[in-house]
Amino acid sequence: MKEGDHGGGRVRGPGTRSDGGSRPRNDGVLATLFRYEMKMLLRDKRTILIAVVAPLVLLPAYILIMNFVESREQRALEEKVYQYAVTGTLGEWAREVVDAALTLEAEAADTTRPPAIFELLRPEAPEEALRRGELHLVVQGLTPAEWDSIQEAEDSAAPLSDQDPEEEEGVSSPSLPAIRILFRAESDFSREARGRLAERIIEVRAARRDSVYQSAGFPVTMESVAPVEAVSVASLAREAGAFLGIVLTPLLVLLMLSGGSIVAVDAISGEKERGTLETLLTTAASRTDIVNAKLLSVIVVGLAVAVFNVANLLVYLVLGILNLPASLAVDLGPLELLALLLLLVPVAVLVAAALLLLSGVAKSYKEFQVYFFPLFLAFMVPSVAASLPGVGLRSVVVLVPLSGVAVGVKEILMGKMDLPFLALAFLSTGAVAVWLVRLTQRALSNEKLISGADLDAADLAGGPSLFPRHVFRWFLFLWVILFLASLWLGETLGLRGQLVLNLVGIFFGGSWVMIRRYRLDPVAAFNLRVPHPSAWIAVVVGAPSALILGIGLAQLVNTHVFPIPEEILRSFAQGITGTEFPLWQVVLFLCIMPGIFEELAFRGVLLHGLRQRIRSPWLLALAVGGIFGLFHISLFRLVPTAFLGFVFAWSVLLTGSVLPAILWHALNNALSVVPVHLGLLSEDFTPEGWWALPAGLGLALAMWILWRAGPSRTGGSQGRGSPDDGRSDPRGKPRP
Amino acid sequence: MTSSRDIVRVQDLRKSFFDESRGEVKAVDGVTFSCHSGEVFGLLGANGAGKTTTLRVLSTVLRPTGGSASVMGHDVLAQPEAVRRSLGFYSASTALYPRLTGRETLEFFARINRYPAEKVSVRVEALVDRFGIQEYADARVEKLSTGMKQKLSIARTIAHDPPVLVFDEPTVGLDVLNALEMVKVIRELRAEGKTILYSSHIMSEVEKLCDRIGIIHRGRLLALGTLSALREATGQHYLEDIFVQYVTRTEGLEGAGIGPLGELEGPPTAGGRPEEAP
Repeated sequence: MKEGDHGGGRVRGPGTRSDGGSRPRNDGVLATLFRYEMKMLLRDKRTILIAVVAPLVLLPAYILIMNFVESREQRALEEKVYQYAVTGTLGEWAREVVDAALTLEAEAADTTRPPAIFELLRPEAPEEALRRGELHLVVQGLTPAEWDSIQEAEDSAAPLSDQDPEEEEGVSSPSLPAIRILFRAESDFSREARGRLAERIIEVRAARRDSVYQSAGFPVTMESVAPVEAVSVASLAREAGAFLGIVLTPLLVLLMLSGGSIVAVDAISGEKERGTLETLLTTAASRTDIVNAKLLSVIVVGLAVAVFNVANLLVYLVLGILNLPASLAVDLGPLELLALLLLLVPVAVLVAAALLLLSGVAKSYKEFQVYFFPLFLAFMVPSVAASLPGVGLRSVVVLVPLSGVAVGVKEILMGKMDLPFLALAFLSTGAVAVWLVRLTQRALSNEKLISGADLDAADLAGGPSLFPRHVFRWFLFLWVILFLASLWLGETLGLRGQLVLNLVGIFFGGSWVMIRRYRLDPVAAFNLRVPHPSAWIAVVVGAPSALILGIGLAQLVNTHVFPIPEEILRSFAQGITGTEFPLWQVVLFLCIMPGIFEELAFRGVLLHGLRQRIRSPWLLALAVGGIFGLFHISLFRLVPTAFLGFVFAWSVLLTGSVLPAILWHALNNALSVVPVHLGLLSEDFTPEGWWALPAGLGLALAMWILWRAGPSRTGGSQGRGSPDDGRSDPRGKPRP
Repeated sequence: MTSSRDIVRVQDLRKSFFDESRGEVKAVDGVTFSCHSGEVFGLLGANGAGKTTTLRVLSTVLRPTGGSASVMGHDVLAQPEAVRRSLGFYSASTALYPRLTGRETLEFFARINRYPAEKVSVRVEALVDRFGIQEYADARVEKLSTGMKQKLSIARTIAHDPPVLVFDEPTVGLDVLNALEMVKVIRELRAEGKTILYSSHIMSEVEKLCDRIGIIHRGRLLALGTLSALREATGQHYLEDIFVQYVTRTEGLEGAGIGPLGELEGPPTAGGRPEEAP
């Protein structure tokens, strides 16, 4: 027999891991796979054309078209003769002002645009004529009294103004005659006419005011005018940045998705359809290497798309090859550029992993196409976050994958480099990308890929064995609901309504759905057991200690990691403690209900599901704490709530019961709310630094009691925390 | 039943699939056999009998639900990469990459099967010579005819010179001449000392090629032995008649709860697996 040099007889050392513990030249295999993957990709002309070249042509084409359209529109607007009429009690005065304004316009020194031509008409009913489109503007000269009554009428009937086609521009100061310009907002010409005229009227007014001032002996200098111009220029660049910033991320995600999908669909669905996948899977290459090579090639395409397009944009920006339309004129330094590209790396990885996962799940090209649209939406929706008005990076949006990056990109383009939060946006998208990569690796290493059977025993049996696999997804789903609810319903429901919705509807309702759906035993899933009586003592000792440490931790983060604006802190403190509710409601809504429902959901169902997936109790408690922190949808509460969640999780792991955690949680909330509500403590009360020492000792003592209480009662049946784990408290301090 | 000569060992192998409408489907239901060094072992069975599933478990594409299987002493679950490295897998449904050339295909498969890097180019040239594909070795696979692709596919299968070869219904879809060519190549490979697992539902091929034959039906091995042993056991001459006799007998006995039969050494015995012996 030819054993030869194939190495089949090589003795493997004991304890090597299943799919390649000792891997001679493993990198060689991955490199070979990747090299050939890219080779085949580059030989597919269509892919290159559609994925990389087409987008490159797109941008100059877009710029040319934008330039063409803008200039044509401009010319059309400029060549237009604008018809206007003058009415009002002070019509004569208004006509005189308008004349002066139009003289200014006609003699304008500005050479970039020709002066607009205005024609005065005298129709019977000017306002009717404006409505019918026979006029572009109606200028009204109003007495101060008329002006005031109009203002009052508008204030009282504000909603009605939406239905009125006319927009108004008033130029007035108290107890002076006013000019009101009526125009039609839906007409470009009418808007342009309004803009031109209003601008000149303001100049006229300024000139007259200056002459009044000068005649009164006040100096009027150029400096008082110059800053106005400077500000307007800067805001133009910012506006361009804003526009590009809003558009860039969705555009790049779109291009990555379209380019990457061509590669990804070929990488697995295509191989499946051609029959090459089976060939590949019977080679000595490990599944992980195969998946990684494919993943790398899709990432490379995604990154290439991003880099080429940003570089492309830059070429036009820096070299000025094309005259950029105003909406694209942005300043970009090398640091901004680097940050921009770095932010796009996790996006490319995320897109690649999602596409490859989809390609693996789909059994054919056709199925891939069916699934592609929902995936496309799932990526595009968060990436347009930057177009939401008033969304800044320093908000919870930084934690939302893709949205954080989108807002970060926008702020960079607007000239704002908020490095810690850009890093956070990078991490939030990066974390999901890494998770999805691992999910993809796992899913594609599964034999379902080839066998055609979609299910395994657990899938078929359903129920409890399936729950640990799905628990993450469920809580992600709950988080999305919570996030949307807080966005849309926060204002309407009020604090109590929102608390009831979150606690009973989302947390408890969600938990109950999971228990029903997976036929879990409610007692086991909620960890409902009677703990050893000493556990209650531990809780009473632990609650104030953990609260003080949590506050201290929040302060540390606040001063050293990212500062939280004072007003947010204050508004939160008032929202929670300055409530006008009676004491019993404070205790019910803010202490007892969160204690029960949050613990049942997080230290009950979540812990129950995760403990079968995460073996290490430390990692398990960290995961439960981290997820709990994320559910507070607030950046500055993330760290302290995650810390508390971590401590609560340990209390459940040590005692096997959720009940001490419920009391602890309720007590914690009570301690932080009730004294302030009763006026015993001020809202600004913060513990001194040295308090951390007794608090740390107190927490350590509480944990020690819990550890002693747990195993002795349950006989170790809850099985987590080995004696060694319990010997030191979760914060790593020595046992007192 | 097993010995040190056994290159491939399959012990009480089980593989179930789960299907929403049919529930658990036992594709392979307790199959036991082994292949000796340098022989051609034939798995004979109708479509859906469990041949492909067995071979896919052996090549570690699928994980067994129960039982065990090993190739060259490497367990399919514990050392899947070592198993795949000592194995070449060919089936009618395995395809080649259309955008690679013949030479690139051979180089690619030699490399990812961890053939020593410095010897890869020599090996590729040797294969190109052996299969007489010099003329089109640098053309893209998508441009090749079926016959050319078939040759290249076989060359691809043995690119890393594995000691064990698995041919899963290799002649499906081939014309008579190409099928004959396939049989010829497999004979040559046996002459070189390869251990070969050959599955087919075509009786004549199995008759011509295989040293020992296992008849598989509904996931169970009904009979196992040399052609002459099977002839003696059934009193039939043609493999087709032997096959039909076993299958009909099992169908009749299935209700009586009689398990699969053991390997035939001379006349048929009732000595199946100990725990299921009647």
